[in-house]
Amino acid sequence: MSAATLPPAGGRELSRPPSDGISNLRFSNHSDLLLVSSWDRTLRLYDAGANALKGEFAHADPVLDCCFHDDSSGFSAGADGRVRRFVFASGKEDILGRHDSPVRCVEYSYAAGQVITGSWDKTLKCWDPRGSGGPDRALVGTYPLPERVYSLSLVGYRLVVATAGRHVNVYDLRNMSQPEQRRESSLKYQTRCVRCYPNGTGYALSSIEGRVAMEFFDLSEAAQAKKYAFKCHRKSEAGRDTVYPVNAIAFHPIYGTFATGGCDGYVNVWDGNNKKRLYQYSKYPTSIAALSFSRDGRLLAIASSYTFEEGDTPHEPDAIFVRNVNEVEVKPKPKALPAPPH
Amino acid sequence: MARVSTHQLLQLEKTCGSLLYELQIIWDEVGESDDERDKMLLELEQECLEVYRRKVDQANRCRAQLRQAIADSEAELASICSSIGEPPVHTRQSNQGAGSLKEELKSIAPQLDEMRKKKEERLHQFLEVIKQIRKISLDISPTDCNPSKLAVDESDLSTKKLEDLYRQLESLQKEKCDRLNQVMEYLSALNALCSILGVDFIATIREIHPSLDGSEISKSVSNATIESLAAAIRRLREIKIERMQKVIPQNENVFRFCYSLETDVYVWQLQDLASTMLELWNLMDTPIEEQRLFQNVTSNIAASEEEITEPDTLSLDFLNYVEAEVLRLEELKISMMKELVLKKKTELEELRRRAHLVADAENDTEFVINAIESGAIDASSALEQIEAQISTVKDDAFSRKEILERVEKWLIACEEEAWLEEYNRDENRYNAGRGAHLSLKRAEKARALVNKIPAMVETLVAKITQWEQERSTGFIYDGVRLLSMLEEYTIVRQEKEQERKRQRDQKKLQGQLIAEQEALYGSKPSPSKPQSAKKVANRRLSLGGALLHPSKADYPHSAKPVRVAKRTDDLGTFSPSACHPVKKLSYNAHQEVGVPARKPFAPLVPVNSIPPTPSKVNSIPSTPLKANNIPSTPSKPITSAYGENRTPNTMLAAAAPTPKTPTTVPVPMHVATTPASTCYFNSEAVVAKVAVAQVEETEYSFEERRLSLYLSR
Repeated sequence: MSAATLPPAGGRELSRPPSDGISNLRFSNHSDLLLVSSWDRTLRLYDAGANALKGEFAHADPVLDCCFHDDSSGFSAGADGRVRRFVFASGKEDILGRHDSPVRCVEYSYAAGQVITGSWDKTLKCWDPRGSGGPDRALVGTYPLPERVYSLSLVGYRLVVATAGRHVNVYDLRNMSQPEQRRESSLKYQTRCVRCYPNGTGYALSSIEGRVAMEFFDLSEAAQAKKYAFKCHRKSEAGRDTVYPVNAIAFHPIYGTFATGGCDGYVNVWDGNNKKRLYQYSKYPTSIAALSFSRDGRLLAIASSYTFEEGDTPHEPDAIFVRNVNEVEVKPKPKALPAPPH
Repeated sequence: MARVSTHQLLQLEKTCGSLLYELQIIWDEVGESDDERDKMLLELEQECLEVYRRKVDQANRCRAQLRQAIADSEAELASICSSIGEPPVHTRQSNQGAGSLKEELKSIAPQLDEMRKKKEERLHQFLEVIKQIRKISLDISPTDCNPSKLAVDESDLSTKKLEDLYRQLESLQKEKCDRLNQVMEYLSALNALCSILGVDFIATIREIHPSLDGSEISKSVSNATIESLAAAIRRLREIKIERMQKVIPQNENVFRFCYSLETDVYVWQLQDLASTMLELWNLMDTPIEEQRLFQNVTSNIAASEEEITEPDTLSLDFLNYVEAEVLRLEELKISMMKELVLKKKTELEELRRRAHLVADAENDTEFVINAIESGAIDASSALEQIEAQISTVKDDAFSRKEILERVEKWLIACEEEAWLEEYNRDENRYNAGRGAHLSLKRAEKARALVNKIPAMVETLVAKITQWEQERSTGFIYDGVRLLSMLEEYTIVRQEKEQERKRQRDQKKLQGQLIAEQEALYGSKPSPSKPQSAKKVANRRLSLGGALLHPSKADYPHSAKPVRVAKRTDDLGTFSPSACHPVKKLSYNAHQEVGVPARKPFAPLVPVNSIPPTPSKVNSIPSTPLKANNIPSTPSKPITSAYGENRTPNTMLAAAAPTPKTPTTVPVPMHVATTPASTCYFNSEAVVAKVAVAQVEETEYSFEERRLSLYLSR
């Protein structure tokens, strides 16, 4: 499938996309601004509504993650180990501090007013963005982890950290000295992505082997009985199974349903409560690297960008699609009632 | 001498006599007459007299001159004395005591000389003093100095006058000294002000007078200098006061710091800034370390003008610096307020969600945030607004609590009812399988619960009606009126009862028919069980959606999906294909020995294993891949697994890679139980391989591999 035939089905393609792999993209909590980090060593700010590039912030090394602070500033996680804060209007750059290894993930907690970063140096660091200006003045704390951080997710004061070695730690941001829970991933393969449910009761975790686990924080037997895992992003042709990594999970902010994106170039929308797939979007040119719903859930940003799953090979150009989400695509459907027999 | 002159006179008389005698002889010889002789002699006598008279006159004149000289000297002496202011008495005394005039003159001369010398000295002193006076006067006021006033008056050189002059000089010197002190005082004050305001001190004083900058020894003390110094101090002090407080004279020369906010212009002064800063600190609990940097600013908040003495506290740079900090804090405050509003908003939404209330206007809080950003409304008032909403929602929730709890129970009961029906349709429910005894127990409980439902609904309806009457408004549950939901449920339930009854009748009828036929043609297989049954609408509406009209899609084998899900369950759990990718997806640096290299995510080739539940899996022979010719696991494509249970429409949607229309019928997930149970490897070789892989390989994510490649370039 070529990109030329896509626009009506795949959504609007943003002009001036990053020139190398897209590591993450995120919608603002307040507007349709879209922050995009990339391997081409830039952090970009788009207005998704107007399809305009509003700013470009150069880094010395690839940018592995990004998130908004408010609409006027954001944070980036650099492969050089630095955590930066950018003021979009002025382009002013503060360095909050640094990790010993590349920073894989950055999140901003509105509840705690802190920036949380996870790095391949096997630590988690919390920063106070107000303390920027002096090196390490912003650092609130450093917390050791068993392995390199691969994915982070926040809901309220809860923080879920997924690392290499299939460890999953759950923290309370108000007491970071000890993890609240230490778990092992229910999936047998490397964790790709972890995202908390918007209602704060649990998290979804995806692995490189086409599978997603739905987990719950509540450790009671009744709550744990509800957890399950399902297969997705797989292809079965002529008796051969091909499984693809699930790179991205994004929850719909209103309905609590979620989209997954895989290296097969598909985006699926699921209803976790009813265990149903609600929708599958048409195939994108290459792997889905990242997904983000806008604050009202009316837009879905999709990064179609090769995620290096097969090493350094030629691949389709990197692109960002923004599609209007139809309610029917994301709204949970109650279990179908059979018609009364006649 | 007298003797000599007497002798000379005697000789002269001798010569005169001899001459007379000689004359008489001549005359005798000549024979002159006596008359002639007498006449001649008279002539001679007359001539002699003449000579005497002349000499006497001469002597007389000489005497007069001498007297004159003495008088002159005396007069001069007197005048000098008078001018010097000394009494001239002693000259008169000496005059009387002296003998001849010449002696007198001689005695006066040294006195006169002395007096002259004295006068000279005195004059010199005068000149000296006047010179100094003039110099100082010039220093003090260059324009006022009158040279004529300071000319030396030779007639009055008295010591008194001199003393006067000395006094004058002294007073002038004192004044100069005073002025110098004042200048120094001014300079130090100016220096202090300059350092506070961050103005260049040297340049300022050079502008006033170049001599003030300390490089020269004598500093200008003129009136003009002092005045301009005082003026400079006044000016700087004004600036200081102004920077310090809020008072703003609309003077262009005065430095102002404008911070434009929309149309208003605020002028920020130090104390203004300081109080704003303190306020912001209090608001945001700014850490002490951060506050310490600006301690000197806030400590001046209530200081009077004199109390601000620290250098640079009022310099432009410093004010700008403080202002920048305040602006930063302001920004921070705005963003924190926004965050707070958002937090409250989430709280509100959470409360509404729990109480199953629907917001009146979906975008109200969003609008509030936009308004805060644009500055239209104050964040604190917005906060209050949201707080008010929260409290009303809390009140509502409290009043709804009892009913909501009952609704919750009812919904749980409905769920159990639905489950029970599905369970009842399962023909194999009594087969001894995994968990069958649990299902049996659950069914028992469910039946008890289902029997209670009508009573539950009845009390619920009563409660709701009471509630609605009390408040004269409908009880809305997630946007739907709860009473109508209950009514609908009751109707569906009644329909279902009737359906059951009809089925029982039909069965009875069929039984009779079979009995008749058996009587005629002998035994026959019993007809298939009637499978149509009606499911109770499961209104799980807590996801916030509006009530959906129940879908009327009809599945002929509606009981099947449960079984299929169960089957896939097993697939996910036990299928060896699930175990296989351990090898494939772990990224090892070295090739595995004996196994051909394979790219990640190439089509899967399952490893040999014995499926634990072979009877449940439809075995499809898989194609051997490359050299790796391992017997494949039975794997089942997802679509085919469900195809038989799908309507054609669904199958198309699931199979087509690009659905043009949204799949109206949701596809069930391919669920595997978690935690996934352990893999069963039957082949020892595979076990060994996996073990090796686990020991030697470090797991890396795509990003890590990508970065190492990026860095190696």
